[in-house]
Amino acid sequence: MLREKIEKYLLDIQKPARYIGGETGSVIKDKSKVSVRFAFCFPDSYDIGMSHLGMKILYSLKNAREDYWCERVFAPGVDFEEIMRREGIPLYALESLDPVKDFDFIGFTLQYELAYTNILNMLDLAGIPVYAKDRGNELFNIVVAGGPCVCNPEPLADFFDIFILGEGEEVNLELMDLYKQMKAEGADKKSFLKKASQIKGIYVPSLYDVSYHENGIIKSITAKDGAPEKIKKRIIEDFDKVFYPEEFVVPFTDIVHNRASVEVLRGCIRGCRFCQAGFIYRPFREKSADSVCRQARALCESTGYEELSLASLSTSDHSQISDIISGLIPYTEKEHVNLSLPSLRVDNFSKELMEEIKKVRKSGLTFAPEAGTQRLRNVINKNVTEEELMRTCTTAFTGGFANVKLYFMMGLPTETDDDIRGMTALAQRVVDLFYSLPDRPKGRGVQVSISTATFVPKPFTPFEFEPQATREEIMHKQQILMDSISSKKIKASWHDPSTSILEAVLARGDRRVSEAIYKAWKMGSKFDSWGEHFNFDNWQKAFDECGLEMAFYASRRREYDEIMPWDHLDYYISKDFLIRENQKAQAEQTTPHCRLHCSACGVSKETGRACF
Amino acid sequence: MIKVRAVFEKCGRAKYISHLDLNRCMQRCFKRSGIPIWYTEGFNPHIYITFALPLSLGYESKVEIMDFNITEDEPFEIIAEKLNKAMPEGIKVVKVYSPQTKHTLIKYADFKMIFSGDVKSELEDFIENGNMTTIKKTKRGEKEIDLREFVRLTGCDKEGENTSVTLRLPAGNDLNINPSLVTDLFIAQCGKETELLSVERTAILDAEDKIFE
Ligand code: SF4
Repeated sequence: MLREKIEKYLLDIQKPARYIGGETGSVIKDKSKVSVRFAFCFPDSYDIGMSHLGMKILYSLKNAREDYWCERVFAPGVDFEEIMRREGIPLYALESLDPVKDFDFIGFTLQYELAYTNILNMLDLAGIPVYAKDRGNELFNIVVAGGPCVCNPEPLADFFDIFILGEGEEVNLELMDLYKQMKAEGADKKSFLKKASQIKGIYVPSLYDVSYHENGIIKSITAKDGAPEKIKKRIIEDFDKVFYPEEFVVPFTDIVHNRASVEVLRGCIRGCRFCQAGFIYRPFREKSADSVCRQARALCESTGYEELSLASLSTSDHSQISDIISGLIPYTEKEHVNLSLPSLRVDNFSKELMEEIKKVRKSGLTFAPEAGTQRLRNVINKNVTEEELMRTCTTAFTGGFANVKLYFMMGLPTETDDDIRGMTALAQRVVDLFYSLPDRPKGRGVQVSISTATFVPKPFTPFEFEPQATREEIMHKQQILMDSISSKKIKASWHDPSTSILEAVLARGDRRVSEAIYKAWKMGSKFDSWGEHFNFDNWQKAFDECGLEMAFYASRRREYDEIMPWDHLDYYISKDFLIRENQKAQAEQTTPHCRLHCSACGVSKETGRACF
Repeated sequence: MIKVRAVFEKCGRAKYISHLDLNRCMQRCFKRSGIPIWYTEGFNPHIYITFALPLSLGYESKVEIMDFNITEDEPFEIIAEKLNKAMPEGIKVVKVYSPQTKHTLIKYADFKMIFSGDVKSELEDFIENGNMTTIKKTKRGEKEIDLREFVRLTGCDKEGENTSVTLRLPAGNDLNINPSLVTDLFIAQCGKETELLSVERTAILDAEDKIFE
């Protein structure tokens, strides 16, 4: 039995509790009584995957159906993978400890591009051919993917049978229902895929042909076998009523986010031009304060967690945020649960909110002005003014905080050296502000950290046309930043741009990139998002061998009328809107947020009603 | 505030929960159980649990002991029932009572080990005559010790194709001998190919070899 084989080696590896399941909240069923088995694979380690909210939602949702069984699978650590390969232990799911190869569906969630090689590695560890074309025509082992990166899944098109676009709560079950029905009828995989492609939100990549011009730019994308020309993403109409789990799997080992979490809203009103999530999750929908409080209580009671978070892109944009917080505080205080509020926006950071947060959080504060000057903040439509930042810092400092972390992006469109120096100047003004306040925290110095990340242009944003800054340009900018800092109270940190370059390539890649991913994986690339495993030379070689240039994907400007690899996928954001926004960005003009003014991005046209 | 002691089993998949993780796991079990558990006072209140003896990762146990406090009177059977509803697979509370003793009275623990194959005579011979000097890691560094005076063999039997062995070893605040020190030596000197298949703590005892309660 597989379990005995696994247990034989568990004590030789790090944190074995990650590999044996049995956690509170994990769902065990009798496999002879279920009709469809779904292996939910997170292409990263247990510690990261178990922190992911989307997985928890879909896990519970599928398991709520009596005859479906969804189990969890994660990428094993390097130490365990070595043993698995040596001892012939195939990739298995944590609930039944059965091999992934025994499952009807093998579903991956695509959260970030740098996990792509892990997908190939996991399929291989499962003993499943990585190329879809090599997997035969039997209706079994259907390899599917969902999640944000599915908005341009083309670099993975050769490996997957199906991509699921948009929100998964309804369409996952529809897909499993169809499978169950066609399996009973004895259908083959091809006819299943053809049928599935008719479900809204289902993209079957093998039903589309892509042709290229000689210069590598796409000439056409054509649907065949009756598949739709445009595949539309799915959204949940009534977000307040949508399924939400009342239980989470509670891990034994410590993971990144080990806490109860309630999703309070979906979408974002802000329209920051660099932010893919801000566009692909539209429209903005809220859960009522009542629902949030009820779900939070249920989760805390069933999990025993000592921490509760409110999850969303921008929690403070919830119109009932004060009701939510004041509704939760009496319960969380009585039950000794810490309430944490992650994505607070600078411009919404009121005194009252501050007071509530101070009750539960005593450490430093983080803000993301994203750009160093107002000019550049206008370009990216990050509608945070310096006065707002200063006002917030004043509240924070007088409230007892003395550490502030400022997040910036480097390599934004139109960025100049002055914008880089602007980061330091802004940090300096925060320092000056601190010392100008009579009621600042006494006996402590202020510390302002500047953290920069290389900007990656993403599909379905107004910057999808933009070139990424080259490695040389980024190095230059980093030097400018370092040279501009003269105070000990300001610190700066950054990352090597290599991972961001690869991210940019994969984010806007086309189908030809599949082969390069395959080659890089063959050369040993995996866990690319983990600094210690990342090997840029592998990737360089892989692209060279495929006759592809990374710069073509990363640092090339696209014309407005160029056919993008993802142009057949419809996330309701119209191309016209993206072009308009891109032009406004070049003109340094801002766009008001959706509550103030609708900018006709295309979403309401699709949903058939005004967003607000 | 009422002091409570619980005896619980830690078996099956639960044996991979490390001691550090067990504390966190129990905190959450107590929260889920809904019993009137007592929290520490102060800046960062948490549920107060003390474990009598840590158990090495990978060992099973029938006799783990933990103490905690409750704020209101509740029948012990009800506490056991509520806790068991909240426990993960493999952890089961078998007894809840009011403690009359301190953990410091603990002096020994019994470990039942299963070795593959028939190594009964080899084992008995090793306990009698084998070389039992080894290096023990302590807080102050490593030191050489002869285990013979500390190890008592309380059972050795064939169990199907395997051999089961029970050793009584010092445990508690003064001296702790991990059974792996003995089993490593044995496997090296056995002369036969054998593997340690499992370790289970079966008893916790006081200075008079009486079950600690
Ligand atoms: S349709 Fe208007 S209000 Fe709705 S998301 Fe688009 S811009 Fe915002």
